[in-house]
Amino acid sequence: MTPVNEVDNQEQKMVAILNSKAPFSSTNGKDALDLALIFGSYEQVTSLFFQGDGVWQLIDNQDATLIQSKDYLKTFPALEFYDIDNIYLCQHSLNERGLTDSQFTIDNVIVLNKLKFSERLHQHNVLFRF
Amino acid sequence: MAVIITTPPNSNLTATALNYIELALEQGVNILGVFFYQTGVLNANEYIALASDEFQTTHKWQLLHQKYQLPLHLCYTAAEKNGLSEEKDTNNIAAHFTVSGLGELVELTSAADRVVQL
Amino acid sequence: MTLLHLVRKSAFETSDFQQCIDTLASGDQVVLLDDGCYNIRHQLINKLTEVMVVKVHADARAIAIQAGTLAISMDDLIDLTFKHNSVITWQ
Repeated sequence: MTPVNEVDNQEQKMVAILNSKAPFSSTNGKDALDLALIFGSYEQVTSLFFQGDGVWQLIDNQDATLIQSKDYLKTFPALEFYDIDNIYLCQHSLNERGLTDSQFTIDNVIVLNKLKFSERLHQHNVLFRF
Repeated sequence: MAVIITTPPNSNLTATALNYIELALEQGVNILGVFFYQTGVLNANEYIALASDEFQTTHKWQLLHQKYQLPLHLCYTAAEKNGLSEEKDTNNIAAHFTVSGLGELVELTSAADRVVQL
Repeated sequence: MTLLHLVRKSAFETSDFQQCIDTLASGDQVVLLDDGCYNIRHQLINKLTEVMVVKVHADARAIAIQAGTLAISMDDLIDLTFKHNSVITWQ
């Protein structure tokens, strides 16, 4: 791996991956997670955000195998092994979907109101949205 | 700058992306590389034949690569899923694309002062 | 740090523009391009004090650029990319 010191820019990258889609019917959720794991494996500071239909990805008891889909959701708990500990959910999106009392597949998710969600997103300097 | 392309070659969204990239290059912006992900990998398919009166996306990528030595990186896992192959007898990946992995995107992101997703 | 928001979808079709608006902070700027141009005609636009639109994209769609909406070129878009710390794309 080429060292990151011969470049455009020396600034420490803080990567935010914003999930906006429900699981299964598109590959966006899995594609976003694959990207998060790669950034994690390269020890890049990476946070995950879930907004809109993206929040559906984290609710418990889903079973992708029932619909011939790979259950990539099972990989979410692995995020902590890649030091991806900052996982943020949009409160408003949860409310809209009646999910405020739900169980999530990850224990340490942080539910934020719109303002704090935006503030936290703004603390990152590379933003991907899927 | 690094750009990540997630839209297919026959989409007008890709024409927008090409326009943006070309103007940036003309302005002297240092684009370290373009990374193709999701259906964006289809831009690397050698056999795309768009009608002659349509915007020639794949030709445009080739021109930019030739004129500016713009690196075009393909996420190989996404490419395979979309029917692209670099096996000797079934190679359908256009030569000006570099077959890479997501690690390349990490490197580009690390090195670039701006990352734009289109 | 400020964000440049690129909105490429119509609010009449998806909630991307709404989510963008929910995420705006002081100093951020919004550019409508591709189908994002249709948002000029959506009531959500009233939530923004300032909004830019890529002129050729609006013209292509015969969407008139109203007073209060700033028409920009793709070259301007590149300058804006560097004016802000980062870019987020809503598509």
